[in-house]
Amino acid sequence: MDTAVTQPEAGVKINEDFCSRCSICSSLCPFEAISKEPETGKIVLQIEKCQVCGLCYSTCPAMAISSVYYDPASLTAYLKKAKQTYGSDSLVIMCKGSAPDMVGVEKLFGISKFVPLSVPCVGRMPEEVYLRALTMGIRDIYVLACDDDYCRFDKGSAVAGRKIMAFNQLLKQLGYGEAITLKRNSLKVRVDKDKCISCGNCVFYCPYHAAKLLNGSPSFDLGLCRGCGLCVSLCPAFALELENWERERISSLIAGLSSGMKNPGVLIFHCQWAVLPPIAGDFGSHVRSIELPCAARVDMLHVLEAFQSGVAGVLVAACPEEDCKQEKKGSKEAQHQVSILKEKLSQIGLGDRLHFCYVAPRYPETFTAELEKFSQGIGVEVRKGGR
Amino acid sequence: MIVTVQKPLDEILDSLSPYASVLIAGCDGCTQPPRGLREAEALSRLLELGARSRGKKLNLKVTTHPKQCDSYLVADNLGPESSGVEAILSLACGVGVQTVTQVLPDKVVLPAQNTLFMGMEAREGGTFEESCAACGDCILALTGGICPIARCAKGLLNGACGGSSNDKCEQDPQKDCAWCLIYKRLRDLDRLDVLRDFRMPRNYRTVARPGRVNR
Repeated sequence: MDTAVTQPEAGVKINEDFCSRCSICSSLCPFEAISKEPETGKIVLQIEKCQVCGLCYSTCPAMAISSVYYDPASLTAYLKKAKQTYGSDSLVIMCKGSAPDMVGVEKLFGISKFVPLSVPCVGRMPEEVYLRALTMGIRDIYVLACDDDYCRFDKGSAVAGRKIMAFNQLLKQLGYGEAITLKRNSLKVRVDKDKCISCGNCVFYCPYHAAKLLNGSPSFDLGLCRGCGLCVSLCPAFALELENWERERISSLIAGLSSGMKNPGVLIFHCQWAVLPPIAGDFGSHVRSIELPCAARVDMLHVLEAFQSGVAGVLVAACPEEDCKQEKKGSKEAQHQVSILKEKLSQIGLGDRLHFCYVAPRYPETFTAELEKFSQGIGVEVRKGGR
Repeated sequence: MIVTVQKPLDEILDSLSPYASVLIAGCDGCTQPPRGLREAEALSRLLELGARSRGKKLNLKVTTHPKQCDSYLVADNLGPESSGVEAILSLACGVGVQTVTQVLPDKVVLPAQNTLFMGMEAREGGTFEESCAACGDCILALTGGICPIARCAKGLLNGACGGSSNDKCEQDPQKDCAWCLIYKRLRDLDRLDVLRDFRMPRNYRTVARPGRVNR
């Protein structure tokens, strides 16, 4: 009997043959996942600590670090195709964490047509990609990073800012002018005082103590809000909205996606940081996904809406508790909400149609395995190994 | 807050089955979580899905208002909104359900919740614990603000029973022993002396049940 345990493939790797042991990666890693072995001087990556932000990979001068996500080759391929599709020579590279919708992006940069590229953290963009874009005929590159204190990878936004500053100097010398424009943004909660019933749920649940209910009137310290959406998903009176992740916007996404997929289908709600979907390609014709700024913004009403619109199964994917970028509270609460709803759904025979999983992009196959297992369990066809 | 739990969906679906149109009425009141618009919407969707699996279709409307236990608010709000529906499915506690029944006698009012107790939510863990038994003779001033009537399984008045271990109740080790909590609190307040007083058996007639008092 074959008892060999196969080690799951990691999403980030260091190629020792190329590594010059300069230690830039270990000094930049926000999660202390990379260290130098004191005796040998060897640079080691502890994948269990890695949050796959990509800072190391985009900064390594020896290109010794590789990531299966958003590698230069697939980014270049995407840009080539997207330039045609969108018919524009302006490129907007935006962090998923803080990018508003397309209209919002247009307004922010004062442009009307652009090639969009959204990535989990702009700090992961190697200079090579900017160069390739420019040589491809892109004239202006706009970069939208998160506000420094809003970056889910602590240093990602700051590193992107410094890189772009230096790179613009270089581009100027090369005669491209300052081709890259950098702006920062964050998406935060909004309160409708007319709808508020002063129950205090938001105060109770906010991981950042941003919500206050004084003299019965709600207020948010937006300097503290990190846009997880937990308060929004739990507000009993629909008095709260998260910018760009408004209830109705997600509802129309669900309606569009569920009508556009083959039946029976699976709809995935996932945290932006738990699953990094491929830049091109999909999970097959029976699967669609919606990414949210945190599993905490997975609203149980939206899950029910998906079932109502004919979806056969709903998969909620969240970061493991210790990886949760929202004070380790977002994914835990999401799990709790899903388990309550699952219990209710099981009362009407739909319990097995809702599945929650903790996944991290450090092992890309964990998520696809979960998706395959769940889909097969409810009789939905899924593309094998599709990531 | 009043702690309620939603009834099994099958039971609700059964109770709704004779009625052609139903208004689901949330209550932005004292329940935790408030059984307001979100809960009403969620229940409506669950019932719709449940009915679908039974091969039926429901005609459901959704609304919410504060305090279903207030007869004036019910008359002003739920009154007009329920015109044209046969039944009202109430998300309020048992008091709300009965108030609506009384104010709107031509409607059938059905409960969607089982009302459990008055209590508080633990900050961690999402559990609710009973904390007031509405006994009509509050002794919290003598017990460091911790109620042994509601929180001691035996409702003892004169100290722990001797069955607690590691500060937990012998009847359910998940629950705190109320008398251990009381002892610690009084010790912190340097008021252990109050425990020296012997307390007479409780007067169960402080409120004659069913309770009735004048304003």
